[in-house]
Amino acid sequence: MNDSGESSTSVPAFNNRDPVYLQVVRHFKVDIATGKLKAGQTIPSRRELAARMNINPNTAQKAYKEMEDQGLIVTEGNAPSKVTSDERVLGAVKDELVAESVAAFVASVRGIGLPSEDLLRIVKRAYEAVMSGDKEGQP
Amino acid sequence: MIEAVRATKKFGRKTVLRNLSMTAEKGQITCLIGINGAGKSTLLKAIMGLTPLSGGQIRIDGAPIGKAVYEKVAFVPDTLPMPPSMTVADSLQFMGDYYSNWNAKRASDLLVFFRLNVSDRISSLSKGNAAKLNLLHGLSLDTDYVLMDEPFSGIDLFSREQIASVFTSDLIEGRGVILTTHEIGEIEHLIDKAVLLDQGEVRREFMCEEMRMAEGKSVIDVMREVYRA
Repeated sequence: MNDSGESSTSVPAFNNRDPVYLQVVRHFKVDIATGKLKAGQTIPSRRELAARMNINPNTAQKAYKEMEDQGLIVTEGNAPSKVTSDERVLGAVKDELVAESVAAFVASVRGIGLPSEDLLRIVKRAYEAVMSGDKEGQP
Repeated sequence: MIEAVRATKKFGRKTVLRNLSMTAEKGQITCLIGINGAGKSTLLKAIMGLTPLSGGQIRIDGAPIGKAVYEKVAFVPDTLPMPPSMTVADSLQFMGDYYSNWNAKRASDLLVFFRLNVSDRISSLSKGNAAKLNLLHGLSLDTDYVLMDEPFSGIDLFSREQIASVFTSDLIEGRGVILTTHEIGEIEHLIDKAVLLDQGEVRREFMCEEMRMAEGKSVIDVMREVYRA
């Protein structure tokens, strides 16, 4: 019901089988990895997050606790929580998300049984096409 | 904490609650789920002392229910219990006159939040707006617990969304909520605890996040196990 000026976190669609707080953590990781959330940037309060993501405040609390435990965010005293500036942690987030996506991709193509060189060539072509498209698309 | 301890309720020969035990913590949203006739509304009424139990006990913060329950617990019934000739403003006045724990500031905040018009007559309210006003009455009492009977039933999608957003806000934070529903649908990720009732008995009682974590099951998955078995 309250909306602050920050619009860095959009509303994710939750599935009901994975713990919601872990889905929230993952959402933050994606925002960090893609640069939507920058190192040292202030993130919404627990209450704002609950309202914005339509989740229970207890879940928001749990997600923040988890992110603190993982070193993704830091909270000092009563100041609002911030994304960590620890490059090691931020780099690990990217690695983790890429590894996760690659694992899912590998799982889905392994049955096709293509030689790895062929597969890599196709991936490379598709990836480069998307990346160059992104650059042209930018204003 | 609100506890039902081996609660039994009989209407004549019909047993509506059968040795039912469950708990609802302060600061959590507990959802009583069950088909019509499972005993959900009767349990809420028993917690409010509106219907005497045939056996067992209800305890609120460790004490058996008495007059003090009305200071601690607000009840939002499934229909708006106000005279149809009243206006919205009259109904707020009425609540303020009757309840010492009425919070006028919160009531006016909620009026804005729900976009209700104070000069509208109760009789002219849409079903969705009547449900919102009903909820406003309950939430504007300074109580530790709020009970809501089917707050999402029979109203349009946007009203449901608006009501759901109450659960993510500071209006609820810190209080204990027990709500009933026969369809969990879009509120699945809003609730902390689910209590599945069937024929007056508790079939399952679990924390939703723990269930997702331990067994990868949604509330609906567990409902299928329980009600289709």
